[in-house]
Amino acid sequence: MAFTITCPICGPRSGYEFRYGGEDKGPRPDPAQMTPEAWCDYVHMTDSRPGVQKEWWYHRAGCGTWFTIYRDTTTNLEVAPDSPETVA
Amino acid sequence: MLGLRKRIWTPRPVKSSYDAVIIGGGLHGLATAYFLARDHGITNVAVIEKRFIGFGGSGRNTAIVRANQRTQENLPLYKEALDLWPVLTRELDFNLMFHNCGNLNLAHGEAALKAMRLQVSSARFLGIDSRLLDPKECKDLVPALDISQRPRYPITGGMYHPPGGIVRHDAVVWGLAKGCSRRGVHIHQGTEVTGIGFERGKVAWVDTDRGKIRTPRVLNAAGGYSAGIASRLMGLRLPISVLTIQAMVTQPLKPLLHHVISSGAYHCYANQTLKGEIVTGAHMDPWPNFTTQTTAAYIKHQAEFVTEFLPCLKGAKFMRIWGGLADMTPDMAPIIDGHVPAEGCFIDCGWGYFGFKSSTVTGRYMARYMATGECPEILEPFALKRFQEHRLMGETAALVDYSANN
Ligand SMILES: Cc1cc2nc3c(=O)[nH]c(=O)nc-3n(C[C@H](O)[C@H](O)[C@H](O)COP(=O)(O)OP(=O)(O)OC[C@H]3O[C@@H](n4cnc5c(N)ncnc54)[C@H](O)[C@@H]3O)c2cc1C
Ligand SMILES: [Zn+2]
Repeated sequence: MAFTITCPICGPRSGYEFRYGGEDKGPRPDPAQMTPEAWCDYVHMTDSRPGVQKEWWYHRAGCGTWFTIYRDTTTNLEVAPDSPETVA
Repeated sequence: MLGLRKRIWTPRPVKSSYDAVIIGGGLHGLATAYFLARDHGITNVAVIEKRFIGFGGSGRNTAIVRANQRTQENLPLYKEALDLWPVLTRELDFNLMFHNCGNLNLAHGEAALKAMRLQVSSARFLGIDSRLLDPKECKDLVPALDISQRPRYPITGGMYHPPGGIVRHDAVVWGLAKGCSRRGVHIHQGTEVTGIGFERGKVAWVDTDRGKIRTPRVLNAAGGYSAGIASRLMGLRLPISVLTIQAMVTQPLKPLLHHVISSGAYHCYANQTLKGEIVTGAHMDPWPNFTTQTTAAYIKHQAEFVTEFLPCLKGAKFMRIWGGLADMTPDMAPIIDGHVPAEGCFIDCGWGYFGFKSSTVTGRYMARYMATGECPEILEPFALKRFQEHRLMGETAALVDYSANN
């Protein structure tokens, strides 16, 4: 099955034009209150749960925009941000 | 007479408690259960499998075994694993079809040769047979190789590892299941672990869709699903990205390939089965997913790349293609730990695409860990805390990263 991703600038394009940028982990931890645990968690750790996740993508072979989408990792299909499945 | 009607292992009813519960009927889970029973007399063990044994990577891999890894932490484990195949074949009374045809890994440049020189020396230092070959010697070994300057990345040499080869992966699943069953281990197929319960800082039970099972020890060996189980049921986030990895086989051809050959630059490997099919892998679309879908882009990639160094395969038809899950860590080394996040909780995952060759030996040490509560020295380097302590292992020359940080 073809895999498409919707770039906010270019619209739906082949998934191979993009680079995956990781699960959305919220804002970078505040350096003032940084602990080794918090940094390790932010840098390395993932949820890796099958299902809908919010995640970063980069339109590498296109406009160069970084953006987030919701995708179901069990189907490779994008999910609309306002759909009920996006509420974790 | 041939015993065709005799089951090689026996299904049993689910009990309400076990001395150990293993999540996942893949090779890591089955091997651990087997050695718990064999070496430690812990036979009141349940292997809980959501689908059927070997449904995960254990029944989908390309069956390559070798012990010429890169680092001093990984090499001894893989060496022991390689030495174990003939022993287990006898012990399980099951033909695992170990075919030690040797592995030839190709270099396509000066940098690759340098890296190989280091890798060969590390292996030899630890008593593992590994040799550096020049292109002519590669060609002597595999006459079908194109060692001319024609390919985009011409062959500059190779790393030859005679003791490695191929083991029949399904046979290992069945053989271990048989061994487990004979020693009293229960294997519950079609049973999903849906929860893990804790009491006073210790693991106390697992919830399944066939009821609650009390136990003082739980091993998470759920392959591609282990990181999700860790984060969802154990409250433990792991540095794992799960990707679909694909492989395929051609129509049967005359014997032309007598070794496993692989190429990092072309990102593919191939070997010929005794039936004559060329088994070739492996590719991952670089985004996490649990689909096990195969893709047209990969078929094209594989056809183009494998024929770069084996041009005689041009025109051969692919017969089958399939996918499985690879639980990738940033340093391409597994995560093996115990008493995280609570006493009695064990994890053995993050094997990526190396989890077949390592399964039996890891099961043996994991069993010791679970039986004694003490981490065997050989497993210590694989603890989860290495990520916090910035002691990632050099199993790959550069970090593998599917996150936003590179
Ligand atoms: C295409 C491909 C090629 C590969 N090639 C090689 C190779 O050549 N050499 C090599 O060494 N390795 C290779 N690998 C990697 C290897 O197959 C895996 O690392 C290995 O099989 C992992 O074994 P495991 O026992 O940890 O997990 P698995 O075999 O994946 O078993 C995990 C089991 O857990 C079950 N499970 C999941 N969730 C639950 C739950 N909630 N409750 C109960 N059960 C659950 C699953 O159904 C599954 O059966 C390859 C993998 C693939 C996909
Ligand atoms: Zn764009």
